[in-house]
Amino acid sequence: MDNLESIAVRVEDGLDESLRTDNVWPLLRQIEQALQSLQESGSETVIDLGAMPFSAQDEQDLRERLGRGEVNATVEAFGPTLVQETAFAGVWLVEYLDAEQRRLTLHLQIARIPDLLITPADDLADSLASLRRANRDFSAAPTEDVQ
Amino acid sequence: MSLLDFARGTALQWSLYIFVVGIIWRILGAALVMRRKDMSQARISGAERVKEGAMTILTRSVPPETFEKRIRFSHITGYLWHIGYFVVVLFFIPHILFIKSFLGFEWPGLPNPMILVIGAITLATLVALLVRRMTHPVLKLISTADDYISWLVAALPLITGYMVVARVGLHYETLLGLHVLSFCLLLIWFPFGKLMHVFFIFPSRYNVGAIFARRGVRV
Amino acid sequence: MTDNKTLAERLRERGVSRRGFMKFCAATASMMALPPLMIPRIAAALEQARRPSVIWLSFQECTGCTESLTRSHAPTIEGLIFDHISLDYHHTLQAAAGDAAEHAREAAMQENEGEYLLVVDGSIPLKDDGIYSTIAGITNLSMLEDVAAGAAAIISVGTCAAFGGIPHANPNPTGAVGVSEIITDKPIVNVPGCPPIPTVITGVLAHYLTFGRLPELDSLNRPMVFFGQTIHDRCYRRPFYERGQFADTFDDEGARKGWCLFKLGCKGPTTYNACATAKWNDSVSFPIQAGHGCIGCSEPNFWDKGAFYEPLSAGRWGTPAALGAAVVAGAAIGLGSAALARKRQAEASEEKDI
Ligand code: SF4
Repeated sequence: MDNLESIAVRVEDGLDESLRTDNVWPLLRQIEQALQSLQESGSETVIDLGAMPFSAQDEQDLRERLGRGEVNATVEAFGPTLVQETAFAGVWLVEYLDAEQRRLTLHLQIARIPDLLITPADDLADSLASLRRANRDFSAAPTEDVQ
Repeated sequence: MSLLDFARGTALQWSLYIFVVGIIWRILGAALVMRRKDMSQARISGAERVKEGAMTILTRSVPPETFEKRIRFSHITGYLWHIGYFVVVLFFIPHILFIKSFLGFEWPGLPNPMILVIGAITLATLVALLVRRMTHPVLKLISTADDYISWLVAALPLITGYMVVARVGLHYETLLGLHVLSFCLLLIWFPFGKLMHVFFIFPSRYNVGAIFARRGVRV
Repeated sequence: MTDNKTLAERLRERGVSRRGFMKFCAATASMMALPPLMIPRIAAALEQARRPSVIWLSFQECTGCTESLTRSHAPTIEGLIFDHISLDYHHTLQAAAGDAAEHAREAAMQENEGEYLLVVDGSIPLKDDGIYSTIAGITNLSMLEDVAAGAAAIISVGTCAAFGGIPHANPNPTGAVGVSEIITDKPIVNVPGCPPIPTVITGVLAHYLTFGRLPELDSLNRPMVFFGQTIHDRCYRRPFYERGQFADTFDDEGARKGWCLFKLGCKGPTTYNACATAKWNDSVSFPIQAGHGCIGCSEPNFWDKGAFYEPLSAGRWGTPAALGAAVVAGAAIGLGSAALARKRQAEASEEKDI
């Protein structure tokens, strides 16, 4: 079989221009409205892109239109989550990945800050307790003088 | 068995049989009926008569000048919906595949949006014609049940077809089943109502032309 | 067997932080096809969710459904949810065998009477008193009736359990039927598919775990969120369908360009399932993306709905012989009526002559 080239098989890599679902434009309008209500009343919106017909091409289009903003964060919890501010302040892309880098879902969040980045109130008590413990251990340690 | 399976299986088969029986019955019946012998002197040759008969098919397809103004509405709408109907039936791709499953060959179709527009025009025209039939004093008087049934039977496939595309209310496959059933109804009614004109219109025009031509009259 | 830890506690034990838990909830919401608005409610519910006992009965089946579910790589959301349930009986997955296995089932039934979840895959043969499929000498029919009696709800996984599936296909030698033909007094969710999409199976489980009740169902008892739309509705090849660009064979220009597969028999327009969005093999692809039309495996009687490669709009026109008979019959009636008419015409003209 050294004539493999003669078999008309095209390997599908990269994106196919034609695979657009027409969902990007309505989505952009939805973001616009969400941004307006964030500005007016402070109400936040989350849009689950995993739940609508959205091709890889669409996603690329969307990312191109939204651009990249100033903030870029990774949350390491139960696999990485990539938080990316877009060029439009207040519009965030939050990509949830599992430990094997497979996408769980992709959210568009219209908020001052995505809640994933805010320290959970539940954790504050735990955190305070463990810091106190650590400090106590530290001061009890006989090694050095601390002011 | 789901409605769709029934519609495009059993129902389709039986309505096709009824259609075929009915068509052949009516065509043979009409063709073989005794004709009174024409005693008049033939003014032109047989070959010319055929030509005149054929010409009549054409001349009757355009409105005579004298009436042109008065019948313009029926004339234009008539052509409009007939052509629209044929385009939708023959060039919507799922229809082509439907016919292919019977005839075994296919031809290129039109994109769906075009079909939708043409279908809408056709349906609107049909509705306009019905309204006119029901309001025009003379038309109203000469309309029989056959006219209304034939209208309904011809319009139902269009209406249900739109319902399938627009997905109104029911499940797609249920609507599709209804659409196919409406076509079955068309097949069944076809030989027995005025829809039969599809088969009779050109032969009868030809006949009229040929008979008059024999007597030296041009129509 | 059943401990009383909540799912949140279980995750925390595994070192999943609060953020991790919230992320888990986000992913679960997406899996259940619920709007992100619901995430806080899901979180609150999952905090409380106890570990339910699940009895999984496999009848006339090929184990494809179980394969589908367990083939997802750990640690996925599916895996975590699956780990959280207390799977007290499952032929393929349990360690116990023989009598011990049946005892485990009975024990779980007794302990969780009225509360356990029953999952069924495979159809149930009814013919000849159901002797065509038995487990430990018990027919599928009587085992189903027995276990269903104490179940809180039943999930029929796969087309066989939901609608009879392939065993039910013509001529159905074993008289196979789906669960809902037998059990009529319990809430039943059908998760059809041959096999069903793993995230859909776990999505339903997650919904039950989270809200303690079954999700909203359609007329065939399928969860609306996953089966509310057809493959065609969400197919990425849909624009080609609308434009009238179709593949005519599996290796022509159209096929290579990824055009619509309607002419090649795609059943996408009449098939309700989530393949086009949830996809398969960790969201890699689904049949249409791989170049083959949908065969409608999640629909009742999909096996008997005509050829997989026949276009959906094709008619079943009947045999040429029947058509020929119709022609002959038409001719006979036509000739008869013509003869009658002629006779009457002749009589009429005779009368006139007199
Ligand atoms: S490939 Fe099938 S599901 Fe996709 S658009 Fe064509 S007919 Fe519809």
